[in-house]
Amino acid sequence: MTVGTRFGSDAAAPATRVDAPWRRRLRFFFAVLRARPSFAVGYAIVGSVILVAVLAPWIAPFDPLKADPSVYLLPPGGRHLLGTDGAGMDILSRILYAPRVDLTIAVLGTLVSALAGGAIGAIVGYYEGQRAWRRALSATVMRSADVLQAFPVFVFAIALVAVFGQSVRSIVIAIAFVNVPIYLRLMRSQVLSIRQLRYVEAAYVAGASDLAILWRHIIPNAIAPLVAQLSINIGWSVLLTAGLSFVGAGVVAPTPEWGSMIAMGFQNVVTGQWWPSVFPGIALGLTVFGFALVGASIEVLADPARRRILSGSMA
Amino acid sequence: MMPLVRYIARRIVFVVPQLFGIVLVSFFLVKLIPGDPAVMMLGPTASAQSLAELRDKMGFTKPLLEQLTHYLADVARGDLGTSWQTTRPVTEDLFQRFPATLELVTFGLLLAIAIGFPLGVAAARLKRGVTRKVADYYGLLAGALPDFWLALVLIYVFYTVLGWIPAPLGRIDMAILPPPTISGSLVIDSLLAGDWEALRSSLGHLALPVLTLGLINAGPILKMTQSMTERTLSSDFVRYAEMCGLPRRVVLRQAVRAALPSVVTIISVLYGFLIGGAVLVEIVFSWGGAGQYAVQGVLNADLNPVLGFVVFSAVLSLVTYLIVDLIYFALDPRLRA
Repeated sequence: MTVGTRFGSDAAAPATRVDAPWRRRLRFFFAVLRARPSFAVGYAIVGSVILVAVLAPWIAPFDPLKADPSVYLLPPGGRHLLGTDGAGMDILSRILYAPRVDLTIAVLGTLVSALAGGAIGAIVGYYEGQRAWRRALSATVMRSADVLQAFPVFVFAIALVAVFGQSVRSIVIAIAFVNVPIYLRLMRSQVLSIRQLRYVEAAYVAGASDLAILWRHIIPNAIAPLVAQLSINIGWSVLLTAGLSFVGAGVVAPTPEWGSMIAMGFQNVVTGQWWPSVFPGIALGLTVFGFALVGASIEVLADPARRRILSGSMA
Repeated sequence: MMPLVRYIARRIVFVVPQLFGIVLVSFFLVKLIPGDPAVMMLGPTASAQSLAELRDKMGFTKPLLEQLTHYLADVARGDLGTSWQTTRPVTEDLFQRFPATLELVTFGLLLAIAIGFPLGVAAARLKRGVTRKVADYYGLLAGALPDFWLALVLIYVFYTVLGWIPAPLGRIDMAILPPPTISGSLVIDSLLAGDWEALRSSLGHLALPVLTLGLINAGPILKMTQSMTERTLSSDFVRYAEMCGLPRRVVLRQAVRAALPSVVTIISVLYGFLIGGAVLVEIVFSWGGAGQYAVQGVLNADLNPVLGFVVFSAVLSLVTYLIVDLIYFALDPRLRA
């Protein structure tokens, strides 16, 4: 009987069957999706992009790398549903394969930056304003973050790719690098405010080590805004990857990737064949849009105050 | 006047080490870029001896630390080195290209403000309704679209199909003599020279890139205006003003005014970002701006333009932030105390 009481008020009614906590959470989640259809759209988009990335070899009608010069620049419709590009490659198949590259880069890059930035931010926030050398350390870290953020992002990313050589790994490194300061700042400000709460003091008095306090008491309570930022940032990193590929500093040409597809169709657009560029751009925009919506939903669900308002409006 | 001077002086004290850090990091970053400029300059057929001579002449054989002190001393004198691609001093190249970028970014942001600000205020005032929905989705969608793609779509519609706009190549028609350079902005210069043909051509070339930047960057301005106005509209002083029976328009004006500092902040951040971030739009329209110059430099192991661009844009964004501080001073009476 007591299993569900922490999660809702209707558990007090003896007639209702007691669900496992995860089922209550799931039900709450679906209720939220019903109340906010735009969130549902976001999850649907992200879900289908991931699904497409996984299933691409089975659903793509053509080989994404096979250039057939006899059918170049076919307009949409017919056997090639979205037409073919200037080299005679099937656009639909390439669009379906592209998230394999784009999502991998974006997800890896943001994950690395969130882990690195979050860890540094947590330590800096926890030790800030304590003994002298620790204060100096945190000041140094924050000023370095200032310097890193003062760089023109795009040129910085291109330079990083140039340093590490043109490969998927370098793009991941570049994306991780330019995003680290965001997570660093976010985690630091979270830790700064949580650090002075009563339960942290209680843990300290109980003799827990710094690391244990950070890991068990502070980070679990500080992580929600980071997760929301993560989703928004993945979308943003997809844009950056596409931009890098567009100038020729990202994914190398015949690999199916949205940015380089748009770049390949560049000359065709001016002469009137819009499809090689326009379709990948729509796929790219939809994906980023979906991740932004998911990020917005996490922001609401992770904030107790805003969640309460939401459940109030659902009742 | 005194607090203002103190305020700015404190800012500058923070700015100098930051600038130093930026130059330092970019110097080592650029030095790490593989590719031998000597080989690029002389071509693959150059003899080993002439390559070594050139490397020696350009100072590449000296230890890195010595190269750095040389570079810093040069920068302090305003000398950013020479680009081997254009064979001209980088400072000259940048002074020629930055006005193009600034013209594009400034007009683009003005359009973004013209779209985003009124829409944001309107959306903050209405809790429901079409305007609110449009604003909500516009904010999300504008952040999701790649600007270089939107630029291509606009070219297709307005150049290829409708033919309203001249070919997306450069800032002015090849056949038209550009006006004498005064400010560096072709629009302002042709206005000053009274050259209507040049004015029409440069405005025509400016229209699509500005529209692209305006449509994309109106998103963040809209969101910030909306959320800040909403916050001030639900604050105590607004409730008090409403209770006193002030007309709605007066109350709204007060609320919007209180939201202005944050809106100015996001605009300045966008400005700093776009100086380097408009490079994709510059490339699509062959704009010949500074960002394009830097990207060409990275891709061809031409190091001085890259470094010069980073230094230039860092200084420019610092100047922007300084101007923003002055605007804060005008907007926020608490700072003047």
